[in-house]
Amino acid sequence: MGSAKDIVEHCGVPRFVFSDFPLGNSAGKPNDPRSQLDTLLLALNTLETAATPATTVQSPQTWSEDEKWKADFYSIANLSAAELTRRRAEFDQIKVIGQSVRDQTKQT
Amino acid sequence: MSDNTANTPLPYMQRMRDYYLALGYNNPYEWAHFTQTPFQPLSKPMASCRVGLVTTAAPFKPDAGDQGPGAPYNAAAKFYRVYAGDASQDDFLGISHVSYDRSYSTAEDIGSYFPLAALRNAKAKGIIGEVAPRYYGLPTNRSQATTKDQDCLDLLAMLQADEVDLAILVAN
Repeated sequence: MGSAKDIVEHCGVPRFVFSDFPLGNSAGKPNDPRSQLDTLLLALNTLETAATPATTVQSPQTWSEDEKWKADFYSIANLSAAELTRRRAEFDQIKVIGQSVRDQTKQT
Repeated sequence: MSDNTANTPLPYMQRMRDYYLALGYNNPYEWAHFTQTPFQPLSKPMASCRVGLVTTAAPFKPDAGDQGPGAPYNAAAKFYRVYAGDASQDDFLGISHVSYDRSYSTAEDIGSYFPLAALRNAKAKGIIGEVAPRYYGLPTNRSQATTKDQDCLDLLAMLQADEVDLAILVAN
């Protein structure tokens, strides 16, 4: 179950239920048990009925009528040079922290 | 968005490549790609199957800062070993360590990224035989070799130990 169609299909998985939602909602809409149950049932149905590897089934659910979220995600369109520099420094720090966590894990 | 791109899935690989190039990183990530995909048909009816959830969400880590809904990206919350939790409990699992869409998602409802409640519902309806006794966490490791040669093997061992028939990976 996922929402990054190109990444998952590029990898190749036995069966894939694609929800065209912003990342973070692969199992359905928040605070919407019906959406979440329908998404899971679609996954179970796909598990049961897919006949060939790399089968993708797209959930019929839509996130919203407005698709602005697709244009906005990690968009560089309106980022100033200063903002890009700031984000670069922020990500450099994130990498340092992540490396530290990984190193600590290896030591235990 | 123009009409000729409506309902088109977001091209994440190109979007992320452009973003990190703009930040000055000149080593674009190469996503995993396999030319052959394994496939195993079900060996018994779904209603007889034990189903397990595999998640990329992280358990709460003490002293690692904000890991809840709305938390900024939190590398301290990352985990690098496969883990398992009690599927009969409603444990906290967060996604503060992954780059989900923070502008349009709040991560306030665990059911939107970890469908354990929905899976229990499917069991109650008789659609599946059982929920596996544990849920399983898989690290989001940039090292594909580590993912394939270590994490996947550790995960498989847990699934086999619990006699899971079907595993659903919910990626975030």
